[in-house]
Amino acid sequence: MPNIPQPQRQDEPVVTDADLVALLAGTADVAPGLRPVADVLAALVAEPTDMELAGEERALARFRRQAGAPVPTRRARRNANGLSSRFGVKVGASVTAVAVVLGGGAAAAFADVLPAPIQRLAHEAIGAPIPHTRHTLPSGSRSAAHSRSGMHSRSSTHGKPAARGGPGTGRQGRPHPTPSPTGHGNPQGQGKHGNPQGKGKGQEGQGSGQGQGNGQGQGQGQGKGRGHGTGQAQGSGKGQGNGQGNGQRQQGNPHKKGLLGRPQFNWRLAGHPRWFVRIRLVMDL
Amino acid sequence: MRTSAGARTASTVIGEEFADLLTAAQSGSEAAFSRLWRNANPALLRYLRVIAPGAEEDIAAETWVHVVRGLASFRGGEQAWRAWLFTTARRRAIDLARHRSRRPEAALDDLTAAQLPSSADSAETAIENLSTAAAIGLLAGLPPMQAEVILLRVVAGLDTESVARLLRKSPGAVRVAAHRGLRRLAQITADTGVTL
Repeated sequence: MPNIPQPQRQDEPVVTDADLVALLAGTADVAPGLRPVADVLAALVAEPTDMELAGEERALARFRRQAGAPVPTRRARRNANGLSSRFGVKVGASVTAVAVVLGGGAAAAFADVLPAPIQRLAHEAIGAPIPHTRHTLPSGSRSAAHSRSGMHSRSSTHGKPAARGGPGTGRQGRPHPTPSPTGHGNPQGQGKHGNPQGKGKGQEGQGSGQGQGNGQGQGQGQGKGRGHGTGQAQGSGKGQGNGQGNGQRQQGNPHKKGLLGRPQFNWRLAGHPRWFVRIRLVMDL
Repeated sequence: MRTSAGARTASTVIGEEFADLLTAAQSGSEAAFSRLWRNANPALLRYLRVIAPGAEEDIAAETWVHVVRGLASFRGGEQAWRAWLFTTARRRAIDLARHRSRRPEAALDDLTAAQLPSSADSAETAIENLSTAAAIGLLAGLPPMQAEVILLRVVAGLDTESVARLLRKSPGAVRVAAHRGLRRLAQITADTGVTL
């Protein structure tokens, strides 16, 4: 391939980096070939013309108006416009959240689905029903405590001797998977005697009832005791109650194995509230 | 008339006096604000003549409205002040270009001579205007990025970093654009034999 020499253009300026820096800096010592460029840049920053200064009065008038007016701060602007939108949104969200929580809580309280202590608080505060608890006492234990309606006397109608116990600890120590066949339930429990057949389900809640009934009914209590209360029932009933508190709850084994061989705890048999059992069942899934 | 390149810096930058002027202007001194305005407005107009030809007066006026509003809360030195001014002007120019692209309008009639601001028409001023106008025309012939970089470096008096922030480019890209622009400008002046 022939080596064809490229003709050097004589009028092409050779611009070095130093020249460019000198041009941008506006220094006078630029290369002679860059003198026209230096002149162009100098013309760009030439003294201002009258036309370029013609708007001064207008700018000053605006400055005068602005200087005379108080400088609005952010707070002042916000106050002038009322509550800012962000603050309003926050307040609205907070009010909504509080309303939802309170309303839901009240609804739950009146539906009697809250845990017993909370339900009791709701009962005292807003007149919600007293805690719905179930306990079953073996028939032999002669338990008579609160029914669902909270009436002590109801125990006597089942022919159950009055129960009188000390401080119950029915729900303490939960989960208590092993129902006690001889459990007295909770003498202070707020159990539900249910029907005359006495399928009570006890050991829920910590009642403080001290029923002393002298029932003369003919109830057949079949208490399915699951309690481990420490109360002492002292019944003096004259009834003919066939107390069969033989712990039939033990028929169900709360510790039975699951499908995969994992111990599958049966929460239903452990004497927990319905809402708790549902949550646990969902969690077990 | 030829303006020496060495005289450029004096007219672009206020210098040590700037801090006192700014403080006085923020306190409401019209004289201080007038000095700031007279120092910056011509450069602003020349810059806008290249990036927003035909709308430089309006955009400059809007820019000053914005500046007057925010003057009390402004903090910074002269570089920051000029960067603020030219950034505001550039944003206004971009907004205007977008607005025009959405709603094209018929061009306004040229202003009559009576509507133009009166000025003392001396021969020297006329030649000076001609020189500045010719220089702006030469810059406008460069690629937009190169022209804008040179204007911001020379007319606005911003350093490379400030220009890079304003244009959202890297300082290296700004340097390259400036060098290319100046080389091209040198080529143009050499080819055409332009003398101002």
